[in-house]
Amino acid sequence: MSYIEIRGLCKKFGDNVILDHVDLDIEKGEVVAIIGPSGTGKSTLLRCLNLLEKPEAGTIKVDDRTYDLKTKDRRVKQNLRRESSMVFQQFNLIKNKNSLENVEEGLRIVKKLGKEEARKKALGALEHVGMSDRLYHYPKHLSGGQQQRVAIARSLAMEPNLLLMDEPTSALDPELVGEVLVTIREAAKAGNTTLLVTHEMNFVRSVANKIIFLENGKVVASGAPKEIFGYPNNDRLKEFLAKINMLEGAEYNI
Amino acid sequence: MKLFDWKLVFDQIPPILSALPVTIELTLIATLIGYVLGLLLALIKINKIPVLRQLAVLYISIIRGTPILVQLYVTYYGIPLILKYHNMRFGTNYNLNAIPAILFAIIALGLNQSAFDSEIIRAAIQSVDKGQIEAAKTLGMTGFQILRRVILPQAVIVALPSLGNSLISLIKGTSLAFTVAVVDLTAQGRILAGKNFRYFEVYCSLAIIYWVITVVLENAFKVLEKKFSIPDQPKSPAKEKVEGGVA
Repeated sequence: MSYIEIRGLCKKFGDNVILDHVDLDIEKGEVVAIIGPSGTGKSTLLRCLNLLEKPEAGTIKVDDRTYDLKTKDRRVKQNLRRESSMVFQQFNLIKNKNSLENVEEGLRIVKKLGKEEARKKALGALEHVGMSDRLYHYPKHLSGGQQQRVAIARSLAMEPNLLLMDEPTSALDPELVGEVLVTIREAAKAGNTTLLVTHEMNFVRSVANKIIFLENGKVVASGAPKEIFGYPNNDRLKEFLAKINMLEGAEYNI
Repeated sequence: MKLFDWKLVFDQIPPILSALPVTIELTLIATLIGYVLGLLLALIKINKIPVLRQLAVLYISIIRGTPILVQLYVTYYGIPLILKYHNMRFGTNYNLNAIPAILFAIIALGLNQSAFDSEIIRAAIQSVDKGQIEAAKTLGMTGFQILRRVILPQAVIVALPSLGNSLISLIKGTSLAFTVAVVDLTAQGRILAGKNFRYFEVYCSLAIIYWVITVVLENAFKVLEKKFSIPDQPKSPAKEKVEGGVA
């Protein structure tokens, strides 16, 4: 039994099948990266797991708690959302709150921690991402990379059982990508169970334990980075890797 | 007899101002009704609640599509009619003459405000970036917590200039209350003019009074806007003592 088990996840937008019975196992402390062409449901997969999208079918088991993803029960939804926390492509910091307040918000309002305790935790989380010198800056005072680091601190402070990262570096200027990747690597090293959607293939190769190749709503290939990049056994995967110049085999070098 | 009595214009301002509390009372309560009902209507429209939404759309359309003067008269004659019907039908004994006139004006102006404010509030709420709401959801915040802590504080910043406008037109709208026998600033002025027949001077005095009130309000809203907006510059960390022993 895996720490996290996703079973039979289905999602349609109208008649368009986005996710087609996706099964996924994640072990505790593992970093699983989802790669694949755009429009194949990578982000939707993540967003179904915290019900930002309503899937048609599917269950998720976290530790020994099983949730029906199409539940209508508000309490169950709330509990499910508290299992995970999400880092967004567009950072999505609350604009009328400064860095410290952004991190404290979930701790105070959702976890109901006391003022002192929440502040201590928030300060610690912000220190981890190297943002201690920007505690009272509002999102509009921060660069994209800094905003994303605060967003990561906000997610980590909630001590989620599953960290969801939806293309966390895609909206950043190239020179700011590095600082965020370093932060994510730290989070991964610290043992946060992570599901990561990204196009940073070199980063995936060095940080992920397992890679899932998603196409047309199906898991087409999965394996350790070495297998995926080194010995891809699936034609579609080979084609995808060739297109993004990540294939190591000579015959596919362009 | 002077053609135009300059002195009188200013001399009769204090006696007119004796009715200021009535104008303020009208304005404040109507504004409050406008905000509360307006927020409710806005939320009904945004969340597309069936039946209520259609009713809200109809209500807003009717209120915005009819003159405030007509609305004042409809409340003035309509509410007693309803109570009379109630008396006849259920044998109750409401005293129709005991209803203070100001109540009609407050109801009419409040409902009028709610229709206009609801559209302002709706637009402001919908201007709040969806991503933040998603982020708050994923943190596990409830709908009400998100509304109160994320959406409304930001919507207020967007809505304030328009709400200020709406309040200013309300202040001037209260001058119509004299038609339903409320003695507000305008009515008080007309009473004074009825004695000395200096109508032109009284209306000049009234113009000055309303203008000053409006200027005060405009500036109050500027202060509020500044207070609610996110500061342009981050607070300098040197001035802020960092607690918790973080370097």
